[in-house]
Amino acid sequence: MHSEKIVEIRNLVKDYGVKGFQTRVLKGIDLTIFSNDFIAIMGPSGSGKTTLLNILSSVDKPTLGSVLLDGRDITKLSNKELSRLRRDKIGFIFQDYNLLDTMSLKDNIALPLALNGVAGRECSRKAEELAEMFGLKDHLDKYPYQLSGGQKQRGAACRALITGPEIIFADEPTGALDSKAGKDLLDALLRVNEQGNATILMVTHDAYSASYAKDVYILSDGAMKCRISRGGSRKEFYDRIMDTQVSMGGDFT
Amino acid sequence: MSITRLALQNFRKSVSTYLSLILSLAFTIMIIYNFQCIVFSDLFDTLEEPNKGYINVIIEVITVVLVFFLLFFIWYSTNVFLTRRKREIGIYVFMGLSNQRIGKLYAVETLFIGAAALVLGLGVGALLTQLFQMILLALSDISVDLHFQIALEPVLITTGIYVAVYTLFIIKGYVNIVRSSVLNMISASRRNEYVRENRLLLVGKAVLGVAILSTGFYLAVRAGGVEVIESLLAAVVLVIMGVYLLFGGFLPLLFQGFVKNKAVLYRGERTLWINNVVYRMRKNYRTYAMTCVLMLCSVTALATSFAMRNRYDNIVRFRRTYTFQILSDVPGSQEQLAGLIGRDNNILYESCVELLSLDASLVDTQFNYGNYMIVPYSQVASLAEDAGLEPLFREPAEDEVIGLSHVVLLSFITDRSDITYTINGRVLREIHDTDEPYLGYLQEIGNYLVVNDRFYDELKPLGWSVMYVYSFGIEDPENFAASKDELDAFVSAERAQGHYTGCVTIDPHDKTADWIKVLYSLCIFVFMVFVLASGSILFMKLYNDAFEERGRYKVLQKIGCSERRLRRAVSRELGCTYALPFAVMAGSAFFSVHALERLMSENLMTVYGVSVLIVLAFFLVFYRASVRLYYKNAGI
Ligand SMILES: Nc1ncnc2c1ncn2[C@@H]1O[C@H](COP(=O)(O)OP(=O)(O)O)[C@@H](O)[C@H]1O
Ligand SMILES: [Mg+2]
Repeated sequence: MHSEKIVEIRNLVKDYGVKGFQTRVLKGIDLTIFSNDFIAIMGPSGSGKTTLLNILSSVDKPTLGSVLLDGRDITKLSNKELSRLRRDKIGFIFQDYNLLDTMSLKDNIALPLALNGVAGRECSRKAEELAEMFGLKDHLDKYPYQLSGGQKQRGAACRALITGPEIIFADEPTGALDSKAGKDLLDALLRVNEQGNATILMVTHDAYSASYAKDVYILSDGAMKCRISRGGSRKEFYDRIMDTQVSMGGDFT
Repeated sequence: MSITRLALQNFRKSVSTYLSLILSLAFTIMIIYNFQCIVFSDLFDTLEEPNKGYINVIIEVITVVLVFFLLFFIWYSTNVFLTRRKREIGIYVFMGLSNQRIGKLYAVETLFIGAAALVLGLGVGALLTQLFQMILLALSDISVDLHFQIALEPVLITTGIYVAVYTLFIIKGYVNIVRSSVLNMISASRRNEYVRENRLLLVGKAVLGVAILSTGFYLAVRAGGVEVIESLLAAVVLVIMGVYLLFGGFLPLLFQGFVKNKAVLYRGERTLWINNVVYRMRKNYRTYAMTCVLMLCSVTALATSFAMRNRYDNIVRFRRTYTFQILSDVPGSQEQLAGLIGRDNNILYESCVELLSLDASLVDTQFNYGNYMIVPYSQVASLAEDAGLEPLFREPAEDEVIGLSHVVLLSFITDRSDITYTINGRVLREIHDTDEPYLGYLQEIGNYLVVNDRFYDELKPLGWSVMYVYSFGIEDPENFAASKDELDAFVSAERAQGHYTGCVTIDPHDKTADWIKVLYSLCIFVFMVFVLASGSILFMKLYNDAFEERGRYKVLQKIGCSERRLRRAVSRELGCTYALPFAVMAGSAFFSVHALERLMSENLMTVYGVSVLIVLAFFLVFYRASVRLYYKNAGI
């Protein structure tokens, strides 16, 4: 199957700090993401995962290098264009859900579509469809504070998916969830990916979560150390990820 | 660097928490203090009954509204503060502090804030009073020179009221903290304002609100006799309650309807701001209601001041119709008098009218005012022509009268239909009541009835005393004193012959109508205070809300909601916040001005329109400013 390039990262460098006291958090990252990929980036805490994701999702700017999304360099776009890009091409899942507590789950899910000017009925239909897929059908009228963490995060996933974005960025989506809730979310994401509906880039420090991906990259000390691709079962994949971690001796907690 | 930034951010956050409470409290103190300053100023020194009585009624009405305002504003601001602080000091629970100690911590904290607010409020209040005074002076040639000394009573009374109410809310906060669970304390900010209420309850509230409001309006505009004073006070209380219920019932109902109807809701930014309005409704409907009531007061005060101004001009014009009026039982003196006055002044117009003076016991009527003067129609008609006044309504038939009254400031007797007089055994119906100054100043101090000539001739031979009124308007009223000696000599000469003769001279610099200026100034002052109060409530509320929005807007920006759209959503939400109370106010003010119309028996609809527009202009300014501030505080 021929798949097209969605994101192309070239020699990405990010420094933090004032001049003379800079630390280089990302030290030249290269990565290409194709349509319908499910990539996990793994690394210990402080290795620069969030930083990388922030740059990819245009919330932050890199010091050097370029990020091509859909063939356009996002580091060179104006604020207005970036907003549109985030709105139309990118979906986000945050570690702490970030649902709006002012509105019901359904309104939260439908929000990006409504903002895009899609007709109300269509928004409603799509929201319900996604909620069904994520097992949230009975919770649509609830407000975020009435939902469990897992339900909130699945809701956030629905919100990320509703506009049919080219790529989903997820920053430790299971980080705040217990293992059952985390598993439910990952299962749902995997299903969407397998149906060919989503390209996912997930960042995590947790090998179990990473084992849901097709490819896992290990980020350590601001550089990509290796890539592990899934061959057989998820169990086998998980064991291989663990082995790699141990062999690298990193502190993955 | 990030630590410094964090510390700075923390500091700014808590400063804004403290500051918003201090400012709200100081503001309340300021308003109360300003009002007390008026009550204790020399403004009312010149007043006499019954005007003093009228003013007292008005002051009572304002006091009722201000007490509501005070309670509400302190309740609101301490509540916001409590929820914010609970989250922060709730952390101490984990350090092993008991709820009681945390409660004490809160009480001491609020005590200091309260004291700071008191000092600030009184200080700024004193300055503001001076400022208002200057505005008042600059505003109008007829306003009174107000002298606000920094007297002790207003300070003491203001402090007393404030301390009493504030202590109440400190205790309430303390009890609240002592009683709350750990979880509740930490999550205080999350759930304080919730959201969907029972539909039936809302419908009930809305219906009750409309009913109470309508009753209030009815009481306000109902015509009646002396009981009008009580029904006006009742109307004020009912309107406040009705507005409150309307905002508590109808508004949530409406907006919850929007939220339910997704086809309406999911349209651009609408889902953002309508959900926000609903989210805050529970907390905010009281704010809307309060603002609405305050605005209603300010519009009514402004309309009253306009009306007072008109009325003052009219009263002065009424009095100045003639400069000299001689009342005598001697007929045919007009030419002689004209000659006397003509020596020092140019006469513009003159008239003479014959009238019968009746003892009060001979006239029977609903409102008995004292002695009555009966004037034949033909005499008044020719007088009107001579003096260039409006012609009379029409010739009364033999069983009809026309009353000649004067311009009054207000009359609580608003029902003037079905008035009859029984004179000499005949029942006469009043067909009209005019305040055209046919008899000038004399019309102001007596009761005059115009009757059909034939009926007059019937009454005349019955032997009641006949009087003549000679009136003169001169070219230069300022020069009235020049003719004084001749007229005085004339009067004493006639009196010496045993006649009843008197002379009225109108001094254009006369001060007896000045008390109306007092009212005028009071109304303008009250208007300024209330406009400021209502605008500031909304302003304060939005200021607080904006901080809570920060996090949400960050998320929205991350998911690709552009700054422009966020700003649009904010301006819609804020527009709604300002427009709702304004709309209800504009509707209610129609009735309050209508009530005023009846009290002053004058058409005030133009005044209504202008006043509402002026308040609208103020609100647009407030609106612009709060939108700006909101952008800034919410970080967009
Ligand atoms: N805004 C910032 N300013 C300075 N240093 C930062 C900033 N954000 C992150 N860092 C630093 O960059 C490194 C990587 O952070 P991050 O990307 O959040 O790691 P991860 O998400 O993998 O745990 C950390 O050492 C962190 O201290
Ligand atoms: Mg991270």
